[in-house]
Formats: sequence, structure tokens, C-alpha cells
Amino acid sequence: MNAVELNGLRKVYEMSVGSGFKREKREIAAVHGVDLIVPAGQSLALIGPNGAGKSTIIKMLTGILRPSSGDASVLGFRPWKDRVKLSYKIGSVFGQRSQLWYHLAPKDSFDLLAAIYDIPKVDYRKRLDELVERLSLSAFIDQPVRKLSLGQRIRAEIAASLLHRPSLLFLDEPSIGLDVVARQELRQLLRDWNRQEGLTVFLTSHDAGDIEAVSERVVVINHGQIVLDDSVENVRKDYLSERVISVVFHEDVKALDLPGLRILDNGGKKHRYELDGKNLSVPELVAKVLAQGDVADISIDDPPLEDVIAHIYSQAPGATNEK
Amino acid sequence: MRVLRKYLLVALLSARSNVVYLSEVVGRLLFLGVILYIFSRLWIAVYSHAGSHQVADLSIVQMIWYLVATEAMMLSGPRVSAAVDLDVRSGTIVNYLQRPLSYPLYCLSHNLGERTVRFFINLLVGSIIAYVLVGPLALSWNSVAFFLLALPLAFAVDFLSGFLIGLGAFWFEDTSGMNLIYSRMTMIFGGMLFPLSIFPDNVRPVLEWLPFSAVVYGPAKLFVSPSVGEFLSILARQSLAAVVFAILVYWIYGRASKRVFVNGG
Amino acid sequence: MPKSFSSFLQLAIFYLKLNFKSQSEYRVAFFWQIVSMAINDSIWLFFWMFFFDRFPVLGNWNQRDVVAMWSVLAAGYGLGTALAGNSNNVATLILKGELDSWLLYPRAVLPHLLLGRMSVSSWGDFLFGVGAYLFLVHPSIENFLLFALLVPIVGVTVVGFSVGVGSLGFFLGSAETISENLRFALITFGTYPPSIFSGAAKILLYTVVPAGICSYLPVEALRQNSLELALLAAGGSMIVLFVGSAIFYAGLAKYESGSLIKLQS
Repeated sequence: MNAVELNGLRKVYEMSVGSGFKREKREIAAVHGVDLIVPAGQSLALIGPNGAGKSTIIKMLTGILRPSSGDASVLGFRPWKDRVKLSYKIGSVFGQRSQLWYHLAPKDSFDLLAAIYDIPKVDYRKRLDELVERLSLSAFIDQPVRKLSLGQRIRAEIAASLLHRPSLLFLDEPSIGLDVVARQELRQLLRDWNRQEGLTVFLTSHDAGDIEAVSERVVVINHGQIVLDDSVENVRKDYLSERVISVVFHEDVKALDLPGLRILDNGGKKHRYELDGKNLSVPELVAKVLAQGDVADISIDDPPLEDVIAHIYSQAPGATNEK
Repeated sequence: MRVLRKYLLVALLSARSNVVYLSEVVGRLLFLGVILYIFSRLWIAVYSHAGSHQVADLSIVQMIWYLVATEAMMLSGPRVSAAVDLDVRSGTIVNYLQRPLSYPLYCLSHNLGERTVRFFINLLVGSIIAYVLVGPLALSWNSVAFFLLALPLAFAVDFLSGFLIGLGAFWFEDTSGMNLIYSRMTMIFGGMLFPLSIFPDNVRPVLEWLPFSAVVYGPAKLFVSPSVGEFLSILARQSLAAVVFAILVYWIYGRASKRVFVNGG
Repeated sequence: MPKSFSSFLQLAIFYLKLNFKSQSEYRVAFFWQIVSMAINDSIWLFFWMFFFDRFPVLGNWNQRDVVAMWSVLAAGYGLGTALAGNSNNVATLILKGELDSWLLYPRAVLPHLLLGRMSVSSWGDFLFGVGAYLFLVHPSIENFLLFALLVPIVGVTVVGFSVGVGSLGFFLGSAETISENLRFALITFGTYPPSIFSGAAKILLYTVVPAGICSYLPVEALRQNSLELALLAAGGSMIVLFVGSAIFYAGLAKYESGSLIKLQS
């Protein structure tokens, strides 16, 4: 059974450009004919730079927006037609928007959601106990949300979206504004819930790190079109294995010259390398760097998503027409 | 001089960034249109009932144009107290305290810059509506000159009151209520809706000496019926109010900013 | 149908409880907002009583009717916007794409989003209205019951109108200023005696800006102790609510979820 089926989904916005008498209407395609099938139980990440059309797709799948043309089926429903019926079956976490009342305890918000979703009392109590246990909420469930740490808050947020037992969870940029610890907690949670409970997870992000941790499949979208659709393993091997390493020494040191390592910056005390991850692993490189001299600081970063997409374009010309 | 330039620059910037949006002008037009229409109906009823050309020392044309002047002044006022309240509560006030810049003077120049632009737009829109409703006001050089000269101090006193209310955020949980009551006071006892001359003779002198009248009634009265004597008396009352309020701001702000440093914001 | 209505009622009570609980985190601010709004309303009322005492232009109305007008409008407006606090925010919710959250729930969008927020200061309007009617009009029990019936009717009219003008945002993009001013126009027209308006204005006041339905008709019903007139007002309020909701749902089909702003920025 498929959780999501998209068929030539398109969304065009009409906006007026210019001012005064020169004002004219122009059409901007945010989503440009997207076909996609997501089997139930899969964990999929939809990634792409800001403005690529990720949020627009998620809004069409949750029934918030109506597509300009094409069709979509989510758990057998057409979202913009059967919005209410569908909403009982899906959960959603929108990064910038909280379901929790800021001045109240999470428990109060949960009670309200139970009323909104018409969850019978007995079911609700059982489900809540389960979520409290699984997400370890008991320590702060009665504390006002404004007093919670980011990690606690995101756990409460996930609990809120799982309260009505959805079989499909949409997350739009869930890691936005989270610190490193909270981000790890979120990823762990989503992975567990997907693998152990069979929850279908549909996630958008512009953070490459979210994908590797949570998903089994990656769909890259740019300018409203799918440019790549592959398993996380393949994508990791082909595109995401690169790392950018910055090192600062206490004294001047010569830059390393090794196969698989490109020097981006060579400033005596400060060096920046790009590591392709095939010829040389991160631990190997770090060992070599530490052996060079007295290291003051070292950082290892993922390449920016824009670079990954540029990479995809340059390496796989056929990928743009993925059907 | 160089100190003054700094604040002049703030005022100019705030005036320029307050670019006129079409929707805002339409909104003003609607607002002033509704107010002026209702009051023209109300006053027409009052004048015809009184059977006289003069009510409270003004003709009906003067009465409506008086309202144009007061509305143009009061609607141009940016929300001082809410902005100060927010700066205090959010702690942004600390950023200002660290700069070589006086926070009250910064707010004042920002306020006057924005207010001047809005005032002239309101005056223009209001004048068009009043012209359509009751015809032109007999203007003299005196009325225009006295009106414009009485504005800066009126705006300054209004600003200082708003600033004082905003500083209340250091001590009170909520200042919006106080601000609501202040604005109601200027509307009724400051003469925003009606010239103070409609009040009975025993109440009137009290109201005229209250700071609210320096903000609204004074300048607007000069606009519709100017007189040198009244001009001087209004300037004197405005100056008194401005000095008293400035001292209060100085004193309270001093105590408040000490609090910031002691509590670390 | 009855089941979904009772479930809606349960939800409404739940929201009310939660809103009170959330607001009472800041007890003093909560209290002050209500009290200062009630003081504000009282200042207005006493001023207008003074004004109509000085200039008796009420037509066939008397001072008691002015009190009744302020009471029923303030209590109705207060009740409506206290319970349906988001009715004043519809244009903003549309502009900022904040309807999204409400579209994700298995509930009818409009009633659910209206319940979502409580306007605290509106309780001040409500208390003022009920208090002023009880203590200044001294109604008979029968008359007070009629008042109690009219208050929700006025509330429905105000909320329906606010929803309608706020929904202009679906068509205009930014309708915050315009809808705010139209709401203001309704309340302003609703607080002046109808005797000062005539001709085409009267027609407008029972259609486009239905001050007749939320103010003049209820006052007339109270004056004459007439259940028929109250039911007429109820019918009018239903039409206003229907038109307002129709504009909302027609616009919702065009909803762009704030995407335009994001694309433009």
C-alpha cells in the first residue's frame, strides 16, 4: 500500500510585479510537475534549498493548498477535498509553528488536542501514558512550555502530533531553530518511531544532516522539480561523503598534500580542506592533522546543500529527468 | 551642534523609512471620512437645534476644520508607550544604554521624524474630506503660522507622556491600560473631539491648564480662530508642561536605568 | 448534527478554560486590561451623557436610550470578541499564512479559528455594558431578559462583520488597515444616535455597515420592550454572519498560505 502518490503535481502562484500602471501579472511555478510514490512505512526526506518548493508540496499534501493541476492521494484521500477526514490520519510538525500553548503546560495542550480530535477519554489516557513513557515526558509535562529546554519542547511537540495515532507524519523543517542536542534528540525519535512503529515519515529539510540520520530515501528538489530520487546509502556515497575541515594551529604549519584532499584555504596557521571521503576517511585525516603540530581548533562540516545540488547537476545529467 | 546632528539624522531616517503605503492612505481616508462625516451630521443637528451660527464660539465650518486639525495631530502619533514598553521588557533598551546616545532623545527624534510625515498626510486627506463636507475654512497667515509653531511643543509633550507610561514597564506588568486611559483623556479633556469651549465655565479653566489641552486643544484652536494673546498663552502652557514632563522623564529614567545596571537587564 | 454541535460546544468551553488559564499566568496584567477597558468605556459614556445634556439633539430618544445604546453594543461586542478573539485578526492570519495551523485540524475552519484566541480587554467591555445597563437604566426583570437576549445577537453581528471584512484579505492580499477601519466604522456609527443620520446613510447603516442591526434596532427593542424587534435584529445578525462566512469560505478556496510574501521577499 502506498502512503503518498503524486501525479504531475503543479502549483503556480500568480503575483503582480512592478508598480502603478506598469503593474502586470506574472505566474511563478513553485512546484513544476512532480511525480512521486511513497510506500507506507517508508521514511523519506524531501530536501532542497530555500524556495525550492518543499513547503508548497507539503502544504498540498496536508490539504492547506490546492494544486493548480495534477493529482495527489494521501492515504487514499485527495487532501484538498477530504481535508477533515485526512487530518485524523496524519500528524504534522511545522518547524516555525508550535502546537503547544506557550504559557501552559504540555498536558493542557494535549487535553485540548484530544478534544479537537474527539479522542475518547479511555483511548486518550492510554495513548498519553504510552507517549509519556516513550518520549520521557513525565519530568516536565506539567511545566509551562516557556520554561522547557529546546529538546524537551521538541519532544512535547512530537507527542502532540502523535496523540491521535496518525499513520503518516509530515515534518516541515522540524529542526529549524533547534540546538545540536535537541536536533539529535529529534532525529533519534523519528528514526525509532519509523523503524519500530512503522510510522511513515515525510520530512523536508534544508539540512543535509537530518536526512542521513532519519531517512532511508532522499528526494532532492530544486526549482520545483525533482532532481534526484535515491536511497540514502547511495546519496551518502555519491554526494554527501564530502566534508569541509577547518584547522587552526598555534604556530605556522605547512598545508597537507594528500590524495582525496583539496586545499580551499592555506593561511599558515589556518587551513581549510575539502575531503572527498573516498580516498581518505575523516578519522585518518584528523590523525594526520593532529600529528602536524599544536592544534588550537578543528571543525568538520557538511558541505552546504547548494554545493551538493551543484554537484548533482554536474555529475548526473540524466537525474534531472527522473521519472 | 554635532550632538544635535546625530538626532536630526535619526529623525530624517525615520521620516524617510516611513514611506507612504497606498493601503495606509486608503485606511486614513476611511477613518477620517467616517469620523468627519459623523461629526458633521452631529454638529449640523446641534447648530440647527440651537438655531444659531455660533456654538461654543465657533461656526460649523470652524467646528469641522477644528476636528480636521485635532485628528491630523493625534492620528499621526506613533505608539510611543508600546514601543518603550517592549524595549524595556525585551531588554533591547540595554543596547541603547551602551551607545553614545541618549535613549529618550533617540526615541524623541525618531518619533518626530515619523510623526511629521504622517501629520501632513493626515492634514491633506482631512482637508479634502472637510472641504467636500462643509466647504473651505477662512484661513489667514496667522492661523497657519500659529498652528505650525504650536505643533513642535505639542508633539513633544505628547511624546513625553507616552514615554513616561512606557517606562512604567520597569515596575508594572502591563502599561497598555494606562495608555488607553491617557489617550481617552486627550480625546475628551484635551479637546480632540470637541473644543474645550463646550464645557461649562467652572470646568473649563481647569481643563485648559491640564497638560492634555497643550497637546491638542491649543494648536487646533489657533488653527481655526487665531489670536496673538492666546498663541502666547498656549506656548507658555506648553512650555510649562514640557519642562515638568522632561524633569519627570529625567528623574524616572535615571532611576530606571540604574535598575537595569543593577539587575543586569 | 446535534452531536457535532455538542462536540463543538465542548470544544468552545475547553478553549475558554484554556484561554483563562493561559492569561491568568499574568494575573495583574489580566486584571488591569479588563479594568482599564471598563474605565475607558465609562469615560466615554459619561462624556456623551454630558454632551447630549448640553445639546439635546437626540430626536425621540432620551439619555436612558444613550446608555442603552452604549450598554448593549459594549456588552455584545465584548462577549463576541472575548469568545471569538480571532475575529479581529482574520486579515492578519491570512496575510501571514497563519490559517495553516487551523487547516490541519479535523474541525470546521472558521468556528475553530475564531475560538482560538480570547481578547482579554473585551471582558472589560462586556462587564461595563452589563453594569451600565443594570445600574443606570434600572431595567425591569423582563426588560433585562430582553437585554440578555440582545447581547449575543449584537455579538454575532459584530463577529460576522469582522469575519467578512477581514476575509477581504484573501482577495486584496493585505487588508489589515482596511478591515480595521471598517470595524472601527461599525462601532463608531453604532455609538451615535440614529436621529442624526438620514437618507442614503440610513440604508448603508442597515446593509454595508450594519450599525442598525447591532445598535439601533436592539435599542429600539429595549425602548419598546419588543420581542418582535429583537427577533428582527436576530434575523439581521444571522444574515451578517452568513455573508461574512460566505466571503471567508469563498476566499479560502484562493488561500495561498503566505507563499506570495515568501516568494517576493
